[in-house]
Amino acid sequence: MGEAIRVNALTKRFGPLQVLRGIDCVIDDSEVVCVIGPSGSGKSTLLRCMNGLEEASSGQVRVHGVPVHDPATDLDALRTEIGMVFQRFNLFPHKTVLQNITLAPGKVRGLTAADARDRAEALLIKVGVLDKRDAYPNQLSGGQQQRVAIARALAMQPRVMLFDEPTSSLDPEMVGEVLAVMQTLADEGMTMVVVTHEMGFARRVADRVLFLDDGQLVEGGTPADVFERPVEARTQRFLSKVL
Amino acid sequence: MEPMLWFGWFRADIIAEYAELFWRGLRMTIGVTLICIVQGSLLGLLVGMARLADARHAPAKHLCRLLLRWPATVYVSFFRGTPLFVQILLMHFAVLPLLINPVDGFLISGDAARDLKQDYGALVSGVLALTLNAGAYISEIFRAGIQSIDRGQVEAARSLGLSFPRTMYHVVLPQAFRRMLPPLGNNAIALLKDSSLISAIGLSELAYAARTVAGAYSRYWEPYLTISVIYWMLTLALAYLVSRLEVRYGRGDTR
Amino acid sequence: MTCRLLLLAALLAVHGSAFAQPRTLVVGSSATYPPFAYETPARQIVGFDVDIITAIAQKRGLTVRLVNTPFTGVFASLNNGDIDLIISGVTINDRRKQSYDFTAPYFEARQLIAVPAASPVKSLQDLAGKKIAVVTGSTGDDVASRAFGKTSANIRRFDTTPLIIAELVAYGVDAAIGDNGVIAYRVQQQKALTTVSDPGFPKEYFGIVVKQGNAALRDTLNAGLAAIIADGSYARIYRTWFKAEPPVLPAK
Repeated sequence: MGEAIRVNALTKRFGPLQVLRGIDCVIDDSEVVCVIGPSGSGKSTLLRCMNGLEEASSGQVRVHGVPVHDPATDLDALRTEIGMVFQRFNLFPHKTVLQNITLAPGKVRGLTAADARDRAEALLIKVGVLDKRDAYPNQLSGGQQQRVAIARALAMQPRVMLFDEPTSSLDPEMVGEVLAVMQTLADEGMTMVVVTHEMGFARRVADRVLFLDDGQLVEGGTPADVFERPVEARTQRFLSKVL
Repeated sequence: MEPMLWFGWFRADIIAEYAELFWRGLRMTIGVTLICIVQGSLLGLLVGMARLADARHAPAKHLCRLLLRWPATVYVSFFRGTPLFVQILLMHFAVLPLLINPVDGFLISGDAARDLKQDYGALVSGVLALTLNAGAYISEIFRAGIQSIDRGQVEAARSLGLSFPRTMYHVVLPQAFRRMLPPLGNNAIALLKDSSLISAIGLSELAYAARTVAGAYSRYWEPYLTISVIYWMLTLALAYLVSRLEVRYGRGDTR
Repeated sequence: MTCRLLLLAALLAVHGSAFAQPRTLVVGSSATYPPFAYETPARQIVGFDVDIITAIAQKRGLTVRLVNTPFTGVFASLNNGDIDLIISGVTINDRRKQSYDFTAPYFEARQLIAVPAASPVKSLQDLAGKKIAVVTGSTGDDVASRAFGKTSANIRRFDTTPLIIAELVAYGVDAAIGDNGVIAYRVQQQKALTTVSDPGFPKEYFGIVVKQGNAALRDTLNAGLAAIIADGSYARIYRTWFKAEPPVLPAK
């Protein structure tokens, strides 16, 4: 088991606003890490720094040893190893479900149409949306769209999966189906970093929980450590509000 | 030709006399418009993207700004900021004689230049001016269309490892195109009518035919009413084509 | 006695100065038609017409005051007495003769072909199959249309004479046909062009216009015109503007 992601003294500022104030953390292969914290704490920004969607103001992020923000790094190639699932799904509305999933494997990995289709259908079965393979995203429910988005990210066979509040835009009755897919992934040993408000999921599935507040990594540990025996006052205050 | 009066006053005979000129003019107008729509759109796409060109790190970042963004911005500003009529005259009487000249043409000289200039000079000047003019306006449509696509689309595509060109081609442009069809259609119609200005440099298109008849007979109703009706028909046809395109590409769009 | 002589002398001096002062002709001209009458950047009105009327007036001991009048209103100005005469490239024709009086012709107007200096073209027929630029609806347009077909693709029509010359200079056409005065003036500004005249081109004449019935002024102007033709100043003025020898003008 090696290090999947290493974050060193990461800071991020948007103009005058300091969003990340020096984050240090390591995520190992096959680890499932949930990042929790209040709004504006920098959780999403931290996640987005991991695949280069945000630049670092200072500090370093390495994914399997490759520095993300180094100009010499081939970021497109690195991103094929990192899958990202967004809060608002970001499916391509002009393409069918199947086309959404086969696009990147076909163009970037060079898969033949047939191979890409096979892989896509296998993934659709896995996430439980095979019957919608020829539908357009606007014909799907939110939960179905997010599951397609997960399948799309998985189609590139990444080594790491990042989830940016994947259920926050969903109606409550659909949250479960998406979390179920994520649990399956975790059980299969995928390295996952999940920014979420779903404390139940974090408690059940996470190997570690990181609590971020105001750009700082305040506390981290096993779910039991963080949820039952929080050390920091800020953690306690946050948990008392959400649990 | 004896007067052929319609409705008791419209001298259709003077139009019939110059029928060949109108017919030639119609073909020329349609041809020029189509060529300029295609070329203008291609140019507009390139310039529109150049206006958005950016890179993450220097020196690529500065090169982008200097070699792509800045020239594109200047080009758009000039061709939107000066009258098309002036651009056509400048192109034909100032720029093209520098480039195509039997004596000292930059691009083409000698007898080939003379033949080219005589047979196609006005056409080349007109098409060039109109293309550059259209390209500037269309580039703004492309730029706005591309920028209107949700950032999340680009983020999702890039996160999958799709390069910037691939992201543009497979994800952004197809969506932007659907949104740009109405203003592009408008532009095409404007282009059709703007092409009438090329008559000023002697190109034998529709407006030229009307001017000739008006000059010969000092009658203005007949020739100008005739080409008005023709332009109107052409505009309706173009508008219909655009609406068919909008229907065809309208599938699957959520927002 | 000396007192009366002095008084007489004073009276004579006053009246004499009135006689000695020349009468002024108020001249209407539309100064937008080079080379006949146009405005310089310094807002002075110059041109062939200006020089001719000045020379004529001088011969008759008169001075000239130019009034720049738009062509559409110049005849009305003549009729209501705001101006004494019009010299503005006005063609003598029967329609106008019904309402106004003309002097003898002071300029022969005909069509002229402008070609590159080395062109072998020597007549209108030599232009068959060649590209010709004309001003839309002008006499030149008419001439070319009659000769080669009104819908011929070889006839290229433009809005103004400077444009047809520009097209010729840019090698877009083989020849340009227009009014001789304007063509000759433009050609002499371009080194590489020359003019060709075809005897088949009909001749028209410019005349000075006076109010109908003003025989006195008309005779004065005719006399002056004859005088400047006779002593060569007409030819000199003609050469200045058109770089060519003037043709012989008919007496009427």
